[in-house]
Amino acid sequence: MTSSIFMHPATLFIVGALLLPLFRKFNAQKILLVVVPLLAFIQIKYLPESFGAVEWLGFELQFGRVDQLTMVFLHVFTLMALIGSIFGLHVKETGQHIAAWLYVAGSLGTTLAGDYLTVFIFWELMALSSVFLIWYRKRKKSIEAGYRYLLVHTVGGLILLGGIVLRYQNVHDLSFELIAPDSAMLADYLIMIGFMLNAAVPPIHAWLPDAYPEATVTGAVFMCAFTTKTAVYVLARGFAGYEILAIMGAIMTLYGVGYAVIENDARRILAYHIVSQVGYMVCGIGIGTELAMNGACAHAYAHILYKALLFMGVGCVLEMTGRSKLSELGGLYKYMPLSMIFTVIGGIAISGFPLTSGFVSKSMIIAAAGADHQTFIMLMLSLAAVGTFLSVGIKLPYFIWFGPNNPGIKPKEAYWNMQVGMFMAAFMCIFLGVYPEYLYNMLPYAVEYHPYTSYHLAETFHLLGFTGLGFYIMVKYLKPHDVSNLDLDWFYRKGALVFMWLARKPINAANEWVSNVYQTVGLRFTMAAARALSWFDWEGIDWALDGSAKGIVKAGDQTRLFQTGKMQHYIGAAAGLVFVVLIVVVLV
Amino acid sequence: MIAQVITYLRERSDMMKWIFFAYLGFALVFDFFAERPDAHFWGDPIISFWAIFGLVGCLLMIVFCKGLSHVWLERDTDYYDK
Repeated sequence: MTSSIFMHPATLFIVGALLLPLFRKFNAQKILLVVVPLLAFIQIKYLPESFGAVEWLGFELQFGRVDQLTMVFLHVFTLMALIGSIFGLHVKETGQHIAAWLYVAGSLGTTLAGDYLTVFIFWELMALSSVFLIWYRKRKKSIEAGYRYLLVHTVGGLILLGGIVLRYQNVHDLSFELIAPDSAMLADYLIMIGFMLNAAVPPIHAWLPDAYPEATVTGAVFMCAFTTKTAVYVLARGFAGYEILAIMGAIMTLYGVGYAVIENDARRILAYHIVSQVGYMVCGIGIGTELAMNGACAHAYAHILYKALLFMGVGCVLEMTGRSKLSELGGLYKYMPLSMIFTVIGGIAISGFPLTSGFVSKSMIIAAAGADHQTFIMLMLSLAAVGTFLSVGIKLPYFIWFGPNNPGIKPKEAYWNMQVGMFMAAFMCIFLGVYPEYLYNMLPYAVEYHPYTSYHLAETFHLLGFTGLGFYIMVKYLKPHDVSNLDLDWFYRKGALVFMWLARKPINAANEWVSNVYQTVGLRFTMAAARALSWFDWEGIDWALDGSAKGIVKAGDQTRLFQTGKMQHYIGAAAGLVFVVLIVVVLV
Repeated sequence: MIAQVITYLRERSDMMKWIFFAYLGFALVFDFFAERPDAHFWGDPIISFWAIFGLVGCLLMIVFCKGLSHVWLERDTDYYDK
């Protein structure tokens, strides 16, 4: 059984992450950063259908379960890990690479898990390691956003765990399979809510546009790919065919894109747009027909690549200029032409131009909604496609690379490794559009869908062309301003202030009153008792035990030095400890 | 090189505008010849339905979202720090 754990692709990333500091010492970190994801990308093709079954405390854990649905996600996750690692080669902080790889490992572990407990373990690993990708930005705003991200995901994880425990009580089985919609109970809906939180389904989506724009440049590239798409995978595995998902998904597509139209920060626009794009996938899963499920998987695959490409493009701009707000950018095509071309390829792919990946994937879901006679949902998805082209296809590239602004900066072109990463993603965006069979052959069901029909082409020409005309007419109203927009995180961000006020004023006052009473009355008794006990302790017991109490006092002084007082260090240490325990438990 | 080509095109915005309009004309004409084997809903058989949908949808979305932002959602960037 121990040997089958080493078969797990997550092991590669975990061991790789642990080796990274060592390789840094020998100046070979960059080689390892390419080799490990590349090995994983090759290795997943040789995985057996089932492996890593472990019995632990009477539970049957299964670390590896491979079928068509798993494969398509494994394929794109490992490919994305490779692209992301290459994009981040120039990053000197080993900690960032370690966090990114543990995050990838969490995502792969969740995707391969055959039971809910294993899902939960890797789910938490993802949340815990990804928060470091935010904190490594090291700005005050990032630290704060990281804490909010962690708190929201802790709540989501607890809801998920509650659902898992209740489900075990109901059916005494934790295997991770499709739950039929008509047999779903409270426990199953709790699990679904836990999954939906990571998929950023409104109203529990605000953590995403709050946290991603505050992450590091490479951190955001990783984060945009893994959390939401792992959630899409688990929803597809457990909750296909739930009508509520179809409705929520369709709402998501418009909600996200609406904010993308009005936001100013380039990475926040892209973050909101993830909500919109994941909405297509959630909607496809909710429709649940073979075509819709294929569409959801195909779209997840295509989306990871072009959204990462867009995050890489604006990440390059942020890295080279220190700016990400559209109101502070403009005319950069002169200085960063290659980054411009790659980003524009991402933009046209996400908008679904013919010969790009968006054209062959997004239309599958819309066609599935049409074939299922869900006209209203189909029109909502089509309207979101209009908004996508408007916000990410035209507005974002226009105001960064061209635009009326002259920010007076002359940045250099991005580093070579960033360009290689962008080239790989851009290549895949076009390759999948030209040769869709490569993607279609990976999908869970046989595909009888042909994207390049004359009607679909006509529809796309119209939607894109006349959206462009709309932009042309309204461009002066779309000029970005340096403002932020309220979203549902208002409730917990302002709610926290109310809590803090309560803690500072009434609770603090009550506390002081009690401590006054204690000081005047209780303290005298306590001090007298303490003196008596202390005398007994030092003179009586320590004499008997050979001075060991004095030794402990000394040891305590030394331990105090380990306490840095930084919460991040404690969380990191706790995560490391959990990890060691986990490895010991699994291997023994 | 790329930058020079784009600068060249940007200096000829009138020409670009007419190329764009020509493309829109082509898209409208193309629709007359597109096959419509399986119409899923009432909009599919209408010639240039998606052109109207795209234009009206885009304009309404800008007006609605920008309007909503302006009258309700818009805040200073340090709103939560106050």
